[in-house]
Amino acid sequence: MALRGQSSSVPLKISIVCLTLAISCGTLFSLATGGRTDVGLADIFRPEGMARTVLFDIRMPRTCAAALLGVNLGMAGLVLQAITRNPLASPAILGINQGAALGLALGVVLPNTIDLPLDLYALTGALTAGVVTFAISGGFGGKIDSLRLVLGGVAVGAFSYAMVRFTYTLDDDIARSVIRWTVGDITDIRWSETKRLAVWAVPGFLASLVMAQRFNLMALGQASARGLGADPRITLLLGTIVAAALAGASVTVAGPIAFAGLIVPHLAKFLFGGDHRVLTPTTALLGAALMLFADGLSKTLTAPIEAPIGVVAALMGAPWFLWHTIFARDVS
Amino acid sequence: MKRNIFAVFGLCAALATTPLSAGEITHEAGTTDVPDDVQRIVVLEFSFIDALASVGVAPVGIADDNKRDRVIPAYTDIIGDEWISVGTRKTPSLEVIASLAPDLIIADKTRHSAAYDTLSEIAPTIVLDSLGGDYHDSVAQMAVIGEAIGKKDEMDARITQHKATMDAYVSQLKPLSEGLSAQFGVTNATGLWLHAPVSYNGSLLEMFGFDSTMKPADGDVYEKVYVPTTLEQLSEVNPDILIFGAYANPSQVDSWKGETLFEDLTAVKSEKVFNVTAHNWSRLRGMLAAEMTAADIVEIMKQ
Repeated sequence: MALRGQSSSVPLKISIVCLTLAISCGTLFSLATGGRTDVGLADIFRPEGMARTVLFDIRMPRTCAAALLGVNLGMAGLVLQAITRNPLASPAILGINQGAALGLALGVVLPNTIDLPLDLYALTGALTAGVVTFAISGGFGGKIDSLRLVLGGVAVGAFSYAMVRFTYTLDDDIARSVIRWTVGDITDIRWSETKRLAVWAVPGFLASLVMAQRFNLMALGQASARGLGADPRITLLLGTIVAAALAGASVTVAGPIAFAGLIVPHLAKFLFGGDHRVLTPTTALLGAALMLFADGLSKTLTAPIEAPIGVVAALMGAPWFLWHTIFARDVS
Repeated sequence: MKRNIFAVFGLCAALATTPLSAGEITHEAGTTDVPDDVQRIVVLEFSFIDALASVGVAPVGIADDNKRDRVIPAYTDIIGDEWISVGTRKTPSLEVIASLAPDLIIADKTRHSAAYDTLSEIAPTIVLDSLGGDYHDSVAQMAVIGEAIGKKDEMDARITQHKATMDAYVSQLKPLSEGLSAQFGVTNATGLWLHAPVSYNGSLLEMFGFDSTMKPADGDVYEKVYVPTTLEQLSEVNPDILIFGAYANPSQVDSWKGETLFEDLTAVKSEKVFNVTAHNWSRLRGMLAAEMTAADIVEIMKQ
C-alpha cells in the first residue's frame, strides 16, 4: 500500500540486465586499467611474476575498495534521503565529509601536537561534524527536524571546508598532503584498507535492510509513520547513525567523495521503484558499479597521471545534480 | 635667463633624486626598468637567495616559508641573518614586502605571475621561472639577476667558476653513470612525486650521464615537472638507482616497504635506494645548490 505509484517505469528484467552489465563492465574496467600499461586482465591467469603481483596486490584491493566505497556512499545517501525526505540529501548534508577533511587537515598541519594516526583525526572530524549537526537539528532533545538537519549540515560543512581551504595556502608539502587527502583518492589502497571498508559496509547494509520498512513508512510522512507504529524520531536517530558511520568510514579511507551518495539512490529508484526493501540491495550494487567506473576513468582520463576518484565522481555526478535540480518536479 | 638657470638646477635636482636606470631587464613577465645600484632586494624563492649569495649580496626580505632555518647555513654564512621574512613562497605578504621599501623584487613565474602587477606597484619586479625551470634555466637566471642587481661582472665570474666545478663533477660521474638510470622523487606522508627529466633535478641527473626511465608508453616525455606516482607506476619506471627526499617520517615510500612490488624494484633488490635531504634537493635550486647535489651524487656513486 505504501508503495503504490512508486514502482519504476522500467521493466524489471531490463533493470536487472542493466545492473548486472554495469557491475560486470565496471569491474573489468577497473581491473584492466592502472599505472602499468603492459599489465592487463589476461595476466590474472599467470602463476607468478610482476604482472600477477600488480593485479593481486595493487589493482584487486583497489577495485574492491572502489566497489565498497560505492556501497557505503550509496547506502548513506539512500538512508539520508529517506529520513530527511529530501531528494537532494547526501552524506555531505551532515557535514561529515567536510568534518573528516578538517580532521585530516589538522592532523597534517599539527603532526607533533597529538601523535595519532591521520585516520583517527579524520574519524574524529567526521564524528564531531555529525554530532554538531545532530545537535543543531535538535537530536539531543529527542526531536529531530529534517530542515534544521539539512541547514545544520550545510553550516558545519561550510565552516569545516573553509578551514581546510586555509591550509592550501601553507607550505607546499602540507598543501599537497591535505589536497591528496581531501580530493577523494584511492591510488594507494591495499587489502588492509579494503577490509576496513568491508567491516563497515556489511553491518551498514544489514542495518539498512532491517530498517527498510521504516524508511518506507517515513515516505508517508512523520505523522503517518507514527500512526503506523514506527516512531519517526527513532528512524531519524538510527538512520543518522548508520549514514554517519558509512560515510565516515569511507572518508577515513578515501577522503570525501561527493555526489556518489546523491545520484546512486536516484538511479536505483529510477530502475527499481521506491520500495526500500528492494532499493537497499540495488542501491548498494549500483553504488559499487558507479564507483568502479569512476575508478577506471580516474586511471585513464589524464593518464599517465591519475585523476583522483573524488574528482571523477564529481564530474559524473554534477550533471545529474544540475538536471535533477532544474527539471525534477519536486525537490522540496 | 634666470628662468633657464632655474630649469637647469631643477633638472639636476630631479636627476639627483631619481634612481638611475640599470637598464631594461627582460624576464618572464616582460621588461622592467631596474634602477642602478639596488640596495633593498626582496626575493620570493630560495634559488634567488642562491644567486645573491653567489655575489655576496644580502636581501632585505625573503619568502622563507616563515621558517628561518630553511635558509641553510651555506647561504646565511654569506648573507647573514638580518632579513625580514615576507611569509611563504606561495603566498608572500604584500604588506610586509611594501613595508620593506624594496628597490627590486625577484619573483617566481609559477607562483607569483598573478601578483606581478601588484608587486610592480611596490617596486620594480622581475619574474624568473625558478620552480618550473631546469638546471640550465637556473644558471641562466643567475646571469639575469647579476645584471639586475648591477653585478654582472661578478656574477659572470661566479658562473664561469661554477661551470668549471660542474664540469669536474661531470667528468668524475660520467664514467660511473654510463648505462645506469637514476630517478629522484620527494615523498611525504601521502604520496610520492617523481621529478621528471624536464625538472631541475632531472636535468642535473641527465647532465651527469644518467638515463631516465621515466617515459610514458607512447614515447612522449612527461610535461609535468613533478609527477605524482603510485607504486604500480614506479614499478614501470623501475630505475637502477632511486633517490628519495622524505618530508615525513614515515613517508609514503616507507609504507611500501615489504610489499612484493616494491621489493622487486631493481634499485631495491640491488640496494641502490638512497635518501637525501629533501629540502636541499627539492626546494633549493641554483649554483651552490647544484654543487651540493653533485657532491651528494658523488657520495651515492661511492656506495
